[in-house]
Amino acid sequence: MKKSILSLAAAMLFVFSANSQKVEFEEYDLNNGMHVILHQDNAAPVVTTAVMYHVGAKDEQPDRTGMAHFFEHLLFEGTKNIKKGEWFKLVSSNGGKNNANTTDDRTYYYEIFPSNKLELGLWLESERLLHPIIKQEGVDTQNEVVKEEKRLRVDNSPYGRFLEYVKQNMFKKHPYKGTTIGKMAHLDDATLDEFLAFNKKFYVPNNATLVVAGDIDIASTKKLIESYFGPIPRGKDIERSFPKEDPITEPITAKGYDSNIQIPAIMAAYRTPSMKTRDSRVLDMVSSYFSSGKSSILYKKLVDTKKMALQVGAINLSQEDYGTYILFGLPQGETKLADIITEIDEEVLKMQTDLISEKAYQKLQNQFENNYVDSNSSVEGIANSLARYNVLYGDTNLINTEIDIYRSITREEIREVAKKYLNPNQRLILEYLPESAKK
Amino acid sequence: MKTKILSFVAILAMSFATSAQIDRSKMPKAGPAPKVKLGESERFTLKNGLTVIMVENHKLPRASVNLTIDNPPSFEGNKAGVSSMMGSLLGRGTVNISKDEFNERVDYLGAYLSFSSGGAYGASLKKYFPEILELMSDGVKNSQFTQEEFDKEVKITLDAIKSNEKSVTSTARRVENALTYGKNHPYGEFTTKETVKNITLEDVKNRYNSYYKPNNAYLIIIGDINPKKIKKMVKTLFSDWKPGDIPSYKIPEVKNVETTEIDFINMSNAVQSEIAVINTIDLTLGDKDYYAALLANQILGGGGTARLFQNLREDKAYTYGSYSKVSQSRYIGSFKATASVRNMVTDSSVVEIQKEINKIRYQKVSEQDLKDAKELYIGNFVMDVQKPATAARYALNRELYNLSDDYYETYLEKINSVTVDDVQNAAIKYFRGDKTRIVITGKGIDVLKNLEKTDYVIKYFDKEGNPTVKPPMTLPIPDGMTAANVVDKYFDAIGDKDKIMAIKTVMTVSNATIQGTPLVMTMKAAAPNKTSQVISVMGNTMSKSVFDGDKGYQEARGQKMDMQPAQIEEAKLSIVPFADLAYKKGKLDRIEPIDGVNYFVITFNETEIFYDMKSGLKLKEIKTVKTPDGKEVKVPTTFSDYKEVNGIMFPHAMGTKMGPMDLNFVIKEIKINEGVSDADFE
Repeated sequence: MKKSILSLAAAMLFVFSANSQKVEFEEYDLNNGMHVILHQDNAAPVVTTAVMYHVGAKDEQPDRTGMAHFFEHLLFEGTKNIKKGEWFKLVSSNGGKNNANTTDDRTYYYEIFPSNKLELGLWLESERLLHPIIKQEGVDTQNEVVKEEKRLRVDNSPYGRFLEYVKQNMFKKHPYKGTTIGKMAHLDDATLDEFLAFNKKFYVPNNATLVVAGDIDIASTKKLIESYFGPIPRGKDIERSFPKEDPITEPITAKGYDSNIQIPAIMAAYRTPSMKTRDSRVLDMVSSYFSSGKSSILYKKLVDTKKMALQVGAINLSQEDYGTYILFGLPQGETKLADIITEIDEEVLKMQTDLISEKAYQKLQNQFENNYVDSNSSVEGIANSLARYNVLYGDTNLINTEIDIYRSITREEIREVAKKYLNPNQRLILEYLPESAKK
Repeated sequence: MKTKILSFVAILAMSFATSAQIDRSKMPKAGPAPKVKLGESERFTLKNGLTVIMVENHKLPRASVNLTIDNPPSFEGNKAGVSSMMGSLLGRGTVNISKDEFNERVDYLGAYLSFSSGGAYGASLKKYFPEILELMSDGVKNSQFTQEEFDKEVKITLDAIKSNEKSVTSTARRVENALTYGKNHPYGEFTTKETVKNITLEDVKNRYNSYYKPNNAYLIIIGDINPKKIKKMVKTLFSDWKPGDIPSYKIPEVKNVETTEIDFINMSNAVQSEIAVINTIDLTLGDKDYYAALLANQILGGGGTARLFQNLREDKAYTYGSYSKVSQSRYIGSFKATASVRNMVTDSSVVEIQKEINKIRYQKVSEQDLKDAKELYIGNFVMDVQKPATAARYALNRELYNLSDDYYETYLEKINSVTVDDVQNAAIKYFRGDKTRIVITGKGIDVLKNLEKTDYVIKYFDKEGNPTVKPPMTLPIPDGMTAANVVDKYFDAIGDKDKIMAIKTVMTVSNATIQGTPLVMTMKAAAPNKTSQVISVMGNTMSKSVFDGDKGYQEARGQKMDMQPAQIEEAKLSIVPFADLAYKKGKLDRIEPIDGVNYFVITFNETEIFYDMKSGLKLKEIKTVKTPDGKEVKVPTTFSDYKEVNGIMFPHAMGTKMGPMDLNFVIKEIKINEGVSDADFE
């Protein structure tokens, strides 16, 4: 008898702890095709209203790169009911914060307000979608602002161009070959009509996901959402067909230059599948194994023990259509770039040949468990994750279940994925050099 | 029947949904203000002086611990960098555990743990938190400093310095501090290759033994914790951390400059100028005008709605963002207005930043501006106040600044009581537009010419903040580049060489207006050096000048003057229709950047000719002529709007100056090898 009580208590405890992490949400579509996700959390009087549009740099015309990011600027310029220059003021004078960001795959806008300003947040986002004012004047101002953003983040920033070089060498057909910020000449050439057409095509409710998260009442929030977003007309369906890349079968070598650096860097970049695949998640674990923490394989070997590198790392750049897995190192002292690659290759080969140790595997599991808890620590973060899982993965509930995928990855799979993707003939070796090394 | 009822319900529901009428032309009204409750914290102090603050929050199964050692600033002098090196070496093995085991343990738990000269930080899942706390205490109390790790860290520090040598932003921040506080001040000194080489392992150990002490330290623990258990744990782990006397040090006094000046640091690779208008201030959290200063700053440069951003970004598009910041401090605070702007608009940006600073000093802000700024502070307070980290921060601030117990309970009242007069007084007191340094880190050759037109004295500093001289304003000429190369490049740019050489005559008809009167200028040129230029108004010839290869004359208002021998000599030297052929014999004098374009400049007799380095095209000539009273005057001629005529690029717009007037010719017609006869040069 005693035993069963105990196990019951244990079961209850389990339910409790599982619940404490589970993100509860409700989702539905409006008639115009807009997807809505609601997440209630009354712990603090704060509400996030956010819209993610399924449009990013990859949706641009090849001779109009930078347009998606440009829109992120343009859509703060005002709407039929919000005068130019008023947007930021409306937000801050109501005690709120707002921002937006763009990737190759999507554009995300959000406001965070004290929860009694929920309706204001919905109004702002519905105004942006329903009738933004897109005029030459705003285009001209934001054109200069975006150029300054590029100077700040790319041209004046040490190692700021590495992604540009990696992408242009890794992709030949797919629009991932360009950068999100795009080419400034393209933006200069873009006409007002082109901006209007872009807006009409992509900024439609059937291409958008609205998330309202925080201190809300579900029923009344639904009514408000219907009032503000319901009447917005549906747009045409968006057809997407992106060119497929041919597999990389021969090693690619390239050089890139940067006037802001003294110490070069070396990168090995491999093309990997969409972030939606299981393999991509396995590669996340591969990344952690190589470079997350001071006891990680590459850090310990190259930085700590052999003192060959100032810094080493692995980035699994996960994107909707393809991923790019990048291993990189900055040489310490007189170390040659090629020697860093040799060392890295040795570790990759080990991973392809032997299973990682049980202990290393358990370490990965602990790290991903920790990341999972941390990722849902703020309501803003939860709003962003809900939108991302819905728009890019097509499964909102991954916010709760993606951890199960990571938990189920085996040591054998890690070995297989390393074998499948991380081969020398499938990669780019990029030497990232100081401008002075140019001949 | 059943379906009917259902549809009736549906209609009801529908009508209910549509009845929620909204008027989207107006901003929606806010609901009732949410009730806010300050988070709670618990505190206790150990005998060694360590104060512990705990905030309980069970939302997620995790916890964090933050150690802050609140020592007064100290000066490191010729061993600058010793404390940060000490911080980096903490936790690399203790008397109980090797470095590798230590790192392995932290990573294995999926946790985070780091040390610095000012404390430590750790975070983990709840289940591993006791172990993280223990590892932290071990690192704090028992860190080992080995020669091997020390040598490694020296190398890494030197490489890190090297890796930042060309970074415009990191140079800017370093020199801004060095100039603002002085290099003899803890806030102004910085680590260099030389100071790193002065540091020994012994120095690092001494640093640890004299400064890394619990006396002034605070341990803040937040998360899914049981305070009772944590208290017990902390007592066990940290009670034997030995206190000691922190070496005393008197911080030098810092003075702002007497008159505003520009301090310029040249970085030839800069594509943006880093502008920082900085003065030091005496402002501490808890001061009476603290919130007035914060609100004044909010209005001036606190974010996207503030004046700097609205002016420099949204109106002028000079920058991605311009902001200002008031930093309070118990020792010395600062006010700083900043922007990263493209080289071309550096001077204009300085003017606009200063304009905004002066405006908020000399004009009261509107009630509405103040209200909006207050709302932002209130909103942020409302949103943050219930976060556990906020409760912890407030508790720490109470300790650090000796704030009253109800300081944050009355926060909203404090904000609301600030008046527009308070804001202006704070602006005048803290934003020293008249006694400030305008530190600019940028590409001198692109920006100095215009900066010199501002009213400020410009002082020059090197990348380490030492006074230096003005950087050269021209670029070095590449090896082997000559005037002849430049001219060849120009011909390549305008068209096919054979075609160019086949041109014997050119006739150009162009229009301009002078004081509202339309002018027509007809120029004819025939190889090798015959020229004629006729300016007419409404069909009447106003002036004419002709050279036939041997002699020539000028005619104006019916008066004819023959060319002097010197003028004839000069005219003979020139080559038409392409004078540039003659410039091959000139001298490639310099490469000069003007308004963001780099020019090859050739000098030929009294003329300077400017070719765009990139396009190769000739964009300007400046001729120095002597006026009758012997003064030298520079007469510029500009060329633009290059368009093709018979496959050759010709400028279709020309500008020159007649006295103080700009004269802009638009070319209407260009004829090649036709319309010109010897009679034209008689």
